[in-house]
Amino acid sequence: MSDLADDPIRRIVVGYTANDSGADALALATRLARASEALLDIVMVLPSEAHASTVPTDTGYERYLKEQSRGWLAEASESLDDDDVDVAQLLHIRYAESFAEGLIAAAHEFGAALIVVVAARGGLLGRSRIGSVANELLHSSDVPVALAPAGSRDVPVAQGVTRVTAAIGTRPGADALLEASVRFAVAAHVPLRLVSLVSVDLPAGLDEGLAALTSTVHADEVLLAARRELPDYLDATSTAATGATVEEAVRGLDWHVGEVVLVGSSRLATPRHLFLGSTAAKMLRELPVPMIVVPRTTTP
Amino acid sequence: MTHQPEPQAPLTEATVAVDGSEHGITKKGLSAGSVGLIGAIVIGISCIAPAYTLTAALGPTVSEVGVQVPAIILVGFIPMLLVAFGYRELNRRMPDSGTSFTWATRAFGPWIGWLAGWGLVAATILVLSNLAGIAVDFLFLLISQIAGNPEIADLATNPFINVTVCLLFVLGATWVSYRDMQTTQKLQYWLVGFQVVVLVLFAVAALVEVANGNAFDATAIELSWFNPFAVESFSAFAAGLSLSIFIFWGWDVTLTMNEETKGSEKTPGRAATITVVTIVVLYLLIAVALIAYAGVGTGEYGLGNPDIQDNVFFHLAGPILGPLAVLVSLAVLTSSASSLQSTFVSPARTLLAMGHYGALPEKFAKVSPRFFTPGYATIVSAIVASVFYAVMRFLSEDVLWDTITALGMMICFYYGITAFACVWFFRRIWWRSVRNFFFTLLFPLVGGVILGVLFFTTLIDSMNPDYGSGSNVFGVGLVFVLGMVVLLSGVAIMLWQAWKRPAFFRGQTLSRAAAED
Repeated sequence: MSDLADDPIRRIVVGYTANDSGADALALATRLARASEALLDIVMVLPSEAHASTVPTDTGYERYLKEQSRGWLAEASESLDDDDVDVAQLLHIRYAESFAEGLIAAAHEFGAALIVVVAARGGLLGRSRIGSVANELLHSSDVPVALAPAGSRDVPVAQGVTRVTAAIGTRPGADALLEASVRFAVAAHVPLRLVSLVSVDLPAGLDEGLAALTSTVHADEVLLAARRELPDYLDATSTAATGATVEEAVRGLDWHVGEVVLVGSSRLATPRHLFLGSTAAKMLRELPVPMIVVPRTTTP
Repeated sequence: MTHQPEPQAPLTEATVAVDGSEHGITKKGLSAGSVGLIGAIVIGISCIAPAYTLTAALGPTVSEVGVQVPAIILVGFIPMLLVAFGYRELNRRMPDSGTSFTWATRAFGPWIGWLAGWGLVAATILVLSNLAGIAVDFLFLLISQIAGNPEIADLATNPFINVTVCLLFVLGATWVSYRDMQTTQKLQYWLVGFQVVVLVLFAVAALVEVANGNAFDATAIELSWFNPFAVESFSAFAAGLSLSIFIFWGWDVTLTMNEETKGSEKTPGRAATITVVTIVVLYLLIAVALIAYAGVGTGEYGLGNPDIQDNVFFHLAGPILGPLAVLVSLAVLTSSASSLQSTFVSPARTLLAMGHYGALPEKFAKVSPRFFTPGYATIVSAIVASVFYAVMRFLSEDVLWDTITALGMMICFYYGITAFACVWFFRRIWWRSVRNFFFTLLFPLVGGVILGVLFFTTLIDSMNPDYGSGSNVFGVGLVFVLGMVVLLSGVAIMLWQAWKRPAFFRGQTLSRAAAED
C-alpha cells in the first residue's frame, strides 16, 4: 500500500458552469487542488449538436456559445487570480452529449484522479438533493467524484484540507476506498480518520442490544484491520460511529471545517463504476463537509 | 459570432490556453455541428412540419387560387429556392446567429438591418402562436375521437378554453426550449416517419373514396391544376404564392445546417434536395387528393367553405378516414409539437444577436449558463406569442387563417431584405466567377424581386375588407391591419432603441461591409 504515496494526485477536473453551482464546484476543486498540489483542469462542457434531433444546428450560434464560454472561463480563472490562489489551472471547452459524459471523458483524457461537481443545484425544498449531473456521474463515473455542497464558494480557499475521513464498512469496495483515502491524505499532508458506520449500517428489526454489542465489536475489528493496512508514516485515528440512524451517527461525530469525507460506492454498482448507496446518500444529507464518492475498484 | 470583439479577459498564463478545438471536434471525430444525412433530412422535415403546414395553409390557398393549388405549390418553391441560395452564401461568409438581422446590417446599415431582424422575429412569433392554436384544435379532436364524443372537439371553439390550453402549450414548449430538451434521434425519426406515412395514407384514402364514388364532391383531376397561368388574377396568384412561401419556410435550414461537416461536402445539398422532393411530392399528393375528394365549393366539406378553411384536416379526417382519423390528429399534434421547439430557436437566436450587438437591451444576449440556450430571448418570445394569440383569438374568429396570411407577408418582407442583402454584400465579387454571378447576384436578386412584389401586392390587396377570412377592423382588412401594426410597432421600437442605444445605430457595434474576395 505504501506505493500509493508515490502516486500523487496530479490533476483534478472540475465541471464548471457560470453560475452559483459552478462557483461552488470551482471553490471546492481549488481548495482540493491547492491542498494536494494538483493541477486544476477547469472544464466547461457544451452540448454536442451531433445528437440534435429537433432543433437545426447553427454554426453562428455555436461560435457565439464558444466565445461566451471562453469569456466565462477567463472570468473564472481571473477570479481565482484575484484571490491570490496559487493553483495551476488549465481551461478547457469540451463537447459532449451530456455534462457528465463530457466530464468523464475529460478526466480520462487528463488522467485526472478526481472529478468535482456541485452536489445539487438548489433543491426546490431547500434540502440538499443530488443534482442531475451529480446523479449521472454517480451512475457512470469510474473516477472518484467530489460533491461540493451548496455554499462551498463561501469557504475560503486558504482553509485548505485539514483532515481526510474515510467512512468504511466491511462490504466490498472498502479496499478501493481505503486506498483512495490514503492517497488523498498523503497528498494533502493531513491526518486520516477512519470512521466505521458498521454499528448503524444494520438491517432494521434486529434486536437492538444484540446488534449494538456485535456491531461495536465488529466495528473495532474492521478499524483494526484497516489500520494495519495503512503506511506507518500516516497519522491515522479511528472511531466507531454510534447512533440509531445514519443521520444521528453523522451528527454525533466532530467535523473540521476543512474536512473531506470519502465513501465507497454501493454494492449495487457495477464494478469500477460509482453508485451512491443508501447509507452514503443519508450521510450526504447530513454532512456539513464535502463528500467524495469512490468507485468500488478504482482504475489501476 | 464572427464580429465579436475579443473577450475582455486579460491573457494570463492560464487564460491564453482555453483549449478546445476550433470547430468543436468531439472525441468521436465529429464536428459539433455534424448531423449526418438522414439526421439533416429528418430535422428539415420536422422543421417544415408538413402535416401542420398543410392543414393550416391549404384552405387559405384554395380560397385564393381554387383548384390551381398544385401549380402554386410548384411555383412557390422557386422564390424560396432562389433566396435560399443567397442565404447559404451569406451563412458561409458570415455565420452568425442573427442571420437576416446581422447580414442586412452588414450590407445596408443598422436601420434596415434592425427591421429585417424585426421581420424575422415577428414572423416566427406569429407562427408560434398559430402552431399552438392548431395544436389546441387537434388536441381536443384527438380526445373526442378517443372518447367517442364529438362534443369535446367543439370545446376548442370556446375562446376561454382555447386560449388557456394554448397558453399551456406555449408554456410547455418554452420550458422544453429553455432547457434544450431534445427528443432522441431515434424517436424523432419515428415521429417524422409516422407523420409522412399518415399523410400518404390520408391522401390515398381520399383517392380511394373518390374511386368508390363516396367522395363528398368528386372533382375530376385535370392537368390545368398544375398550370399557374390558369389562376384567375394576378392578385390571387400573388396571395397564393405568399402562402406557399409559408409552406416551404424552414426548408432552408437543411441547406445551411451542416456546412461544416467534415469530409461530406455533398451532404447539405443532398439533404436539402431529398427533403424538398419529399415535401413537394407530399404536398402535391395531398392537395390533389383533397381537392378531388372535397372540391373547392363552399359545401359542408368543400375546401372553399370558410368554416373549415383554417384547419382542413380537422374537418376532413373524419369523413375520409373514419375511425383511423385519430392518426391524422396524432400526426398533426406531434408535427406541431416538434415544430414549436425548432421554431422557438429562431426568434430567440436573432433576439440574442440583436442584444449582443446593442440593437436591443443587453439582457437579450444572455445565455443560460446551465442549458446554453438564449434564455431571456426565449422567454420574451414566448410571452409575446402568447399575448398575441390571446388578443387575436378574441378579436377574430378566423385568427388562424389571418395569421397565416399575415405571416406569408412577413416572410416575404424579411426574406426579401435578406436576398437583397446578399446581392449587395457581394457586389464587388459578382463577376469573379460564373458561380458568383449566379449565386450572389442572379438567383438572390430574382428571388428578392419576386418576394418584394409579393409583399407589396399582398399589402395593397389586404386593405380590402374581404381579403383573407373577411375579418376587418373599421372597414380595413384584418390582414393589412395586422401586417401594419407589426411593422409600425417595429419602427416605433426601433426609434426608441435608437434613442436609448445609439451606438448600434451609428454603426459602432456592427459596421457596414462588403465581401472583397
